[in-house]
Amino acid sequence: MLKELDPLLHSQLRLAIVSILMSVDEADFVYLREKTNSTAGNLSVQIDKLTTAGYIEANRILEGKKTRTLCKMTDIGRKAFEEYIEALKSYLVIKK
Amino acid sequence: MEDKITSEKESLEIISKMIQSSKNNIQVGRGNFFLYYGYFTAILSVIIYTLVVLTQNDMWSWGWMLMFVFQFLVSYKRRQNKPTVVTYTDKVIKQIWMVFGFMFSLTFIIIAILGEIYGHYKLSLMMPLSLLYCGLGISIHGIIIRERWMIFSPLVAFIVAFYMLMMLAINQPVRIEWYLYLGFSFVVMQIIPGHILNRKAKRQC
Repeated sequence: MLKELDPLLHSQLRLAIVSILMSVDEADFVYLREKTNSTAGNLSVQIDKLTTAGYIEANRILEGKKTRTLCKMTDIGRKAFEEYIEALKSYLVIKK
Repeated sequence: MEDKITSEKESLEIISKMIQSSKNNIQVGRGNFFLYYGYFTAILSVIIYTLVVLTQNDMWSWGWMLMFVFQFLVSYKRRQNKPTVVTYTDKVIKQIWMVFGFMFSLTFIIIAILGEIYGHYKLSLMMPLSLLYCGLGISIHGIIIRERWMIFSPLVAFIVAFYMLMMLAINQPVRIEWYLYLGFSFVVMQIIPGHILNRKAKRQC
């Protein structure tokens, strides 16, 4: 039986954010926006969704007069991503 | 970027594209860390050498304490300009340099304590030990980022450091030329790799 794909990760932007965060230790909002080629508003909404689900950690820090948002994967997020990849594999094997 | 994923293949494409783009995180100016320390140490060694030779006063060798001031200033500047992304490699490299920085400070503290106890400060030991710590740090850093010149350039520093340690072990006096040897070692193991790293980063970005 096919595993269900996690709807939270099965979205272009959220999957892109999580894929980046899986390959680095931490990344800030500007970096994620540049790499995903998204708008600040959309990115912010998706980050909030991932944070609410506990998949990522978003820490807002003050640097001088500016605020920076640093994002990092959580253990829950890592597990969810690994399960998503496993589920993807099963779909691809069947399609072969 | 749209919010909808149309196929599983598309998911895989997004994942591989994003991982690839963050993997090639080569930043312009990544050699600056070496250039700051390299130029500062090389120039300081020439200045201290010149002052000691001209005044015949060994007190100028306390000028090496400026290294601690410089280290503080560089750390402060780096804290101000935090990078937008920290890879696992960056984290490991940072921790390696923290260990060597700690060893550098610890060596100084132990020399100072023993100096207080025995009334004789063996500060000259700082020269070969600094070369060893710095050389090891650069070599390991080079292995991690796969930069051949960085792996092998500290060899000069190791040879100079062993020479100094041997001379001290056989109770030979510290020679004033050692300052220049130290400066030269920093040119080879920090300034040259620093420029190589910056040039490579510019070419790739």
